[in-house]
Amino acid sequence: MGLQPFETVVTAHHAEIYRYLLRVTSRSGDADDLSQETFLRAYRAWGGLDDGANVRAWLFTIATNLARNYFRSESRRRRAYAGVGEIRTDVDPASPEEARRFRETRALVERVVDGLPLKQRLAFVLRKLHDLEYDAIGKSLECSPESARAHVFQALKKIRLGLNGHELPMMESVR
Amino acid sequence: MSTKHPSCRAIELDLVATATGDAEPRAAERVHRHLDTCAECRDEFGRYRAVDSVARGLRSTPPADALAKSRAGLESRLADLKQRRVAYRIFPSPLGHILVGRSEHGIAVVEYLHGGSSLRASRLARVEGIEPVPGGPELERLQRDLLEFIGGRRRDLDWTLDWRLARSDFERAVLEATAAIPYGAVASYAGVARRIGKPSAVRAVAQALRWNPLPIVVPCHRVIGTSGRLTGYAGDKLGLKQQLLSVEGVKLHTARRDASVAREAMYALGEGETEYCLPTCGSIGTRSLALLTLFASRADAEARGYAPCTNCRPDLHPL
Repeated sequence: MGLQPFETVVTAHHAEIYRYLLRVTSRSGDADDLSQETFLRAYRAWGGLDDGANVRAWLFTIATNLARNYFRSESRRRRAYAGVGEIRTDVDPASPEEARRFRETRALVERVVDGLPLKQRLAFVLRKLHDLEYDAIGKSLECSPESARAHVFQALKKIRLGLNGHELPMMESVR
Repeated sequence: MSTKHPSCRAIELDLVATATGDAEPRAAERVHRHLDTCAECRDEFGRYRAVDSVARGLRSTPPADALAKSRAGLESRLADLKQRRVAYRIFPSPLGHILVGRSEHGIAVVEYLHGGSSLRASRLARVEGIEPVPGGPELERLQRDLLEFIGGRRRDLDWTLDWRLARSDFERAVLEATAAIPYGAVASYAGVARRIGKPSAVRAVAQALRWNPLPIVVPCHRVIGTSGRLTGYAGDKLGLKQQLLSVEGVKLHTARRDASVAREAMYALGEGETEYCLPTCGSIGTRSLALLTLFASRADAEARGYAPCTNCRPDLHPL
């Protein structure tokens, strides 16, 4: 590649990769380490990257690999699970009542998400929180786009089941 | 466990995809047609809509200070890596596989690879403080230049050099003195030792050149023994030295396992002199090679600004 200086890649993507890894690890120290490692690896491989490659998807693949290695240690999985709730999120519905309900639902969803099998969880985060295409998610997780789609479907289904009996925040009508 | 109607089950995947904004238009149409007739699925659809909305609500903004700290840490580690990074390229040549590597500061390494054509066969992989990374097309020019040089179609490698792999000031001095030996010329280890002001360090000069990190570019092949014998090259690659000298037009005597420079077929330049001579001029034919530079051709000598000797007149009686 070489045409675009690597600094522009850092500027364009560092915050998002950090956000991804923070969501996945739930710990800012680990998000810090892993995001730095992501970019150092990317820098080393930068010269060999094809022109026209999707740099953002490529970075997510590196970050996802690192995250998967990270979670090979089971104790870390548990720790990440216990860390749920440390992360602040953006949405703020209007009324206090609605806001409370939203917060409760979100906490519930977070618990389900963080308890998902790793591949489902990563696929879900990549798709729903970062809008990655399924073929990019497949590359990240070393599976087909169809499997990536299935992981997200399974994740949504489990979240949906996890919310059974819970009163959901109001949504706009079906159509 | 599901008591759903088969048509509801059949559409479940598409329903979830549609509710979460992930469906193809045709699938979405199918789902909406079904929803018109199925209250249960309508309810389910609404719940998935809510799930999707809450899920997207998990998007979080990391605290700005943590983000800034991470970014600063990354910048500093990148700067460090950049300093240590050597982008390399490996290619086949008539002299075997060659690795060429460039840092931020210039060409840092040229290496003949023994027994392999990958980085693992290279010393570079084991140098402390160096981070070898595969180079991109920007290294193609180096490959082309080197192949032209080896093929005798190029005389200069006007590359900016990075001396970081020189292991000491002494080694660097030896390398720089060697780099100053012109194309088509030879000097001796003793001569190089004299040029760096350490006339007794002949063996140390030979050792330093044995570990020359930039062979070909720093032309250690132009350095020979005072006997005229080629002696060593890149460990056990005397044949390569012979090839490189032949390409530059240096005349050689070759015996079975030995080769030496045919000094009677070379022009000679005495230490500190500005005129080059025929090998028969005065006593120059018997002078030690420690005090001489030999040139394969008049053109090579004159290209460096040396004039023909006014006594022996190599210009009138060329070899």
